[in-house]
Amino acid sequence: MLGQYATTLTFIALGAIFAYSFYAVLIAGQLSLGQAGFAALAAFSGAYLAPAPADVGDVPSLLIAVAIGMSVGALGAVVLGLPTMHLRGVFLAIATLGFAEAVRVVLLNQEWTGGAQGLGVPRVLTVGMAWTALALVAYWFWRMGRSRYGRALEAIREDELAARSMGIDVGRHRLSAFITAGAVAGLYGVLYAYYVRLIAPNDFDFVAAVEGLVTAVVGGSTMFLGPLLGSGFQTIVPEIQRAVGVEAGWIRPFLASLLLLVVILFLPGGLASLIPRRTRMPSGPADDDATGLAGRRHPEAGQPVVTLSGLGKEYGGVHAVRGVDLEIRAGEVVGLIGPNGAGKTTLVNMISGLVPPSSGSATVLGTTVGSTPVHRIAAAGVSRTFQHSKLFNRLSALENVLVGAHLVSRPTFLRRLFWLPSARRDEQAALRQAARCLERVGLSELAANRAESLSYGDQRRLEIARALASDPSLLILDEPAAGMNHVEAARLSELIRSLARDGLTILFIEHNVGMVLQTCTRVVVLNFGEVIASGVPDEVAADPAVIEAYLGSAEEDADGTGARAGATAAGAGDAPPDAVANLRPGASGTLDTPDATRDAT
Amino acid sequence: MQQLLNGIFIGSIYALFAIGFTLVFGILDRLNLAHPAVFAASAFVGIELVERGGLSLWAALPVVFVFGAVLGLVIERVAFRPLKNRADAHFAGLISSIALAGMLIAVLQWRYGPDTRRFPPGSFPDTRFEVFGAQVTLVQVVILAVSLALMVGLTYMVTRTRLGRGMRAVAENPTAARVLGVNVDRVTAVTFAISSALGAVAGVLFAINVNTAQLGMGAAIELKGLAVIIVGGMGSLPGALIGGLLLGLAEVFAVQHIGSSWVNVIAFGLLFVILLLRPQGLLGARKVREV
Amino acid sequence: MRTKLHTVAAAGAAALLLASCGSGESGGGESAAGLTGEGSGESCTIEGEVPLGAVLSLTGAAASYGESQQRGLELAASELAEQGGVTYDLTIEDDQTDPRQAITLFDEFVNDGVSLIIGPTLSNAAVQADPIAQEAGVPVLGISNTAEGVTEIGDYIFRDSLTEQAVIPQTIEAATEQFGLEDVVVMYSNDDAFTESGYEAFADALEDQGVTISETITFSKSDTDFRALLTQAQENEPDALVVSALIEAAVPLVTQARELGIDVPIIGGNGFNNPRLMADAGEAAEGVVVGAAWNSASDNPENQAFLQAYEAEYGSQPDQFAAQAYTGLKLVDQAVRANCSAERDSIQEALGQIEDVPTVLGEFSIDENRDADHPAVVQVVENGQFAVLQ
Repeated sequence: MLGQYATTLTFIALGAIFAYSFYAVLIAGQLSLGQAGFAALAAFSGAYLAPAPADVGDVPSLLIAVAIGMSVGALGAVVLGLPTMHLRGVFLAIATLGFAEAVRVVLLNQEWTGGAQGLGVPRVLTVGMAWTALALVAYWFWRMGRSRYGRALEAIREDELAARSMGIDVGRHRLSAFITAGAVAGLYGVLYAYYVRLIAPNDFDFVAAVEGLVTAVVGGSTMFLGPLLGSGFQTIVPEIQRAVGVEAGWIRPFLASLLLLVVILFLPGGLASLIPRRTRMPSGPADDDATGLAGRRHPEAGQPVVTLSGLGKEYGGVHAVRGVDLEIRAGEVVGLIGPNGAGKTTLVNMISGLVPPSSGSATVLGTTVGSTPVHRIAAAGVSRTFQHSKLFNRLSALENVLVGAHLVSRPTFLRRLFWLPSARRDEQAALRQAARCLERVGLSELAANRAESLSYGDQRRLEIARALASDPSLLILDEPAAGMNHVEAARLSELIRSLARDGLTILFIEHNVGMVLQTCTRVVVLNFGEVIASGVPDEVAADPAVIEAYLGSAEEDADGTGARAGATAAGAGDAPPDAVANLRPGASGTLDTPDATRDAT
Repeated sequence: MQQLLNGIFIGSIYALFAIGFTLVFGILDRLNLAHPAVFAASAFVGIELVERGGLSLWAALPVVFVFGAVLGLVIERVAFRPLKNRADAHFAGLISSIALAGMLIAVLQWRYGPDTRRFPPGSFPDTRFEVFGAQVTLVQVVILAVSLALMVGLTYMVTRTRLGRGMRAVAENPTAARVLGVNVDRVTAVTFAISSALGAVAGVLFAINVNTAQLGMGAAIELKGLAVIIVGGMGSLPGALIGGLLLGLAEVFAVQHIGSSWVNVIAFGLLFVILLLRPQGLLGARKVREV
Repeated sequence: MRTKLHTVAAAGAAALLLASCGSGESGGGESAAGLTGEGSGESCTIEGEVPLGAVLSLTGAAASYGESQQRGLELAASELAEQGGVTYDLTIEDDQTDPRQAITLFDEFVNDGVSLIIGPTLSNAAVQADPIAQEAGVPVLGISNTAEGVTEIGDYIFRDSLTEQAVIPQTIEAATEQFGLEDVVVMYSNDDAFTESGYEAFADALEDQGVTISETITFSKSDTDFRALLTQAQENEPDALVVSALIEAAVPLVTQARELGIDVPIIGGNGFNNPRLMADAGEAAEGVVVGAAWNSASDNPENQAFLQAYEAEYGSQPDQFAAQAYTGLKLVDQAVRANCSAERDSIQEALGQIEDVPTVLGEFSIDENRDADHPAVVQVVENGQFAVLQ
């Protein structure tokens, strides 16, 4: 029975494996077309170098070829990845496509590959082997999905900047995703070679690469079954057309393309979105045992946490921040206020390492800010929220917070592959930590909801929960009360004070001056990039310079809606608050954070 | 000398094709992979107009221009607008435009069959010049002139006209543009229309230049077009021209000095070097993109 | 003889049953009796419909060849239907120029119990898919595969297309004699199996004739602007350009060569043997030498009838792909009628014995390697027509 469909089933498996090589990077928001090149390199080197099946037997020969192919694919990914990993979106796609084309041309010009006439390969692969390989690959990505590593990749896809701020080493993660893609593409190349009997460099051309990408996207690039569904779809469409009796010729590609268009337009998550997605919740009670999570040593109360001296930032001749000297000690709750465009966000962006200072120096939790990558500063204990929410939109609220716990949880992927109980314990610990943080901001009920579906105020709170999950020493909140009403703002104020009682050092920017005066132990006032006042709330509130510069004009901003409007206006008028998104020129084509680039100014 | 001219003429074809590509990318951050299909479709339609409709080439070109513009509107409407607010708009836009391209090519095969076609002989004066001992045809000169004129015209439009300001505003920040009263949807649609109309003209001129039109002609030049917009700088119009010429010259150089079988490696090598050394491309702006 | 035939038929039936177990009515359902008939040759009558499969590239990169082949097959099929006695149920399928589809289709045809598979269009696909038929004992007739080694896949694999090796030496010999070639530039598209093997044949033949190759220039089959390459070729001042390319490249290449003032002879292979060369390249095609398997100008009655019937049916001139496809189906009919049986093994046996059959391609035989054996031709374009190079 099965025999009749063996060929189709084998091609479904092969197509799915190739699609997984695209899935491997799509899940991290990278668009690469280099997989065709990796597959080609792997197919030819595997088929050429592995001993003949006649000498060592079918399976050993295939396994050796697979080992060679996957290594070659992974190696190719390293070689290509190191220089190109800083590229984003379409730039990466075209660079990798260039690589694949170069590989194709080189292979065409080699003697040993047989050129266009191809290299003969014995058929060894059976439908069973193909599906075994597919099962292993699918298993890999299934276990990856709910591991710390898998979540980090998803976070990078959703918002790279936020992921960095959660302490995720984006460069390393992207490279490892790319290497996985290379290895899986290599696997595909070898299996393909050992099935079709003859491989030619043109089997791995642009069309093949695009087809792999299409398969992965149609299936769904956010769920591990996606590539399999995509491949099933792509392989079965011609079969169905034949079975239904659609005449061979132009009408078939027309219908196939139409179907593809329909799927893309009407199933945003690909075919996999038809499968309901379960959000995992912590199984145990959310009690207070913090065991299982890497504890963090917080500085003793009174120790310096942030030391700024003469810190300045200049954008094309405009001084956004100028000569700021400031020290924040552990246990303080510092409110940073100032009119729109005063440089508040720029200042906290420098403190959290997103923007390198142009002058002066800053030390945060013992780390010198400037050349230190954002994730290192996060690792030192800095956690933050953003003026415009930077949530991982397509992840659930709970998953957002789990990503926040990246720094304090242990890597679980490899252990999850082998179902080690310790991985489960660690995951549960992280889940409990996340659940606690959600509870703390009052979002427990919404844990399973997608972040993008939350109300504005809930999104702000979720960001705080996410920032808390890393058990930070210094928490930076950028206008946390924006968009909140009086009741919510009061609750937020209470939350901040309770966090401070737990020993957290907090720096927050806020337009709601009433709330700042109520919440803070110290208020710093910034105007035109300079500190014009600093002291306990009552003192500052009485400072004539402050009243002159700021308080007078801020009255109408004191209520919630006004503050929100202020925040939006600030987005338009501020010295580029999110300019970090454009730090790298390649970022203009960023796939994963279109909003970040779009809203840049 | 002949080779230098060859390089310039090949390059101007690349540029002509890439200008349409880069225009859409500059405004929307999206690659329109249906562009190659427009390129092929317009060549076939142009041939039909001349062959069956009896139009002269000069009369057919404006018709093809309009045809391309209409196709552009369809592409925007069907493959891009529905995706506008989706988180995966980048991937989805690539795929939907690929799907639309597939449909377009299938329809072409239905209408015209899979065989190659060409403009009937004499539909373009085959005047030839000798420039410093090198052979140059009138078509080539026209193509170069058209590329230059389009580049200048488009740059003028983008920098000086109301529509151009709208384009730049949308490119900068669609939300802000909307707030400022720019009709974002219309600007986007018009951009697609212009882009595709340019692709259409490019298709016709290309088919005349090489004396053949094929279903796969767009796909054949697509990769080079991608290389050109990267080399020149994504979204930069003069960049597309310079990138195209540079690639054309590099290829000719490769033919002469390295070996014809390595031409495509050279093209992508150039692309790679540019991406590594100057990712924004030769004329790409660092932060603020030109349209 | 009769008893022997029955044994073959029985063995064939057993093979059919084995091959198609589980595939239900369409497969083994065609009983052995249905595919074996009475009489022989012209008078052969087979009761059941003879199922034939054809795998052609009707869409994708090779669509233009597939379409020509489809026309050739359909023309032959309609003529055979008129002839009567044996009815063929020819299923033409599209492999989309994708080896995976070709493999799948071969598999499906084998399972569906076809008596013979025609195709596939491309040689690479043949190397990939033919073993499936070979293993299942289904005869295959290639109608355009020219790569070396295709028929070595096994004793069920035949072809009616001459390899480039069979055509090109003759071409080069004739051209050398005609033009007194001493050194030439060879150009070929190196990303296509057909043109690459053509190039190899050219290179060998040129060496045999003692002609120097001053430069070898490659391009991609999708290229259409050859000016840089041609200028490069021109600098060698060759006696001729020897080109192995498909018609898509041939037309612009020839046109641009003339445009650049290259007036030396251009010599092409099977890929050039297409009426579109004259139709599309016009004046520029004059004097192009084309070595080919099919002499389109041949006045043998089969060819004349074919040309007329094709023109009447499709309103255009056939190319070599159509001629070979047309011949292919006619040869299959010949083989079926020889033993008056459409059993797989019977067809296989009869195909191997085809000898001196008058066809569109000339007197046609299948040699001991199951390859085609018939006269090749060296043509030259004169006044917009192919004429035999004298």
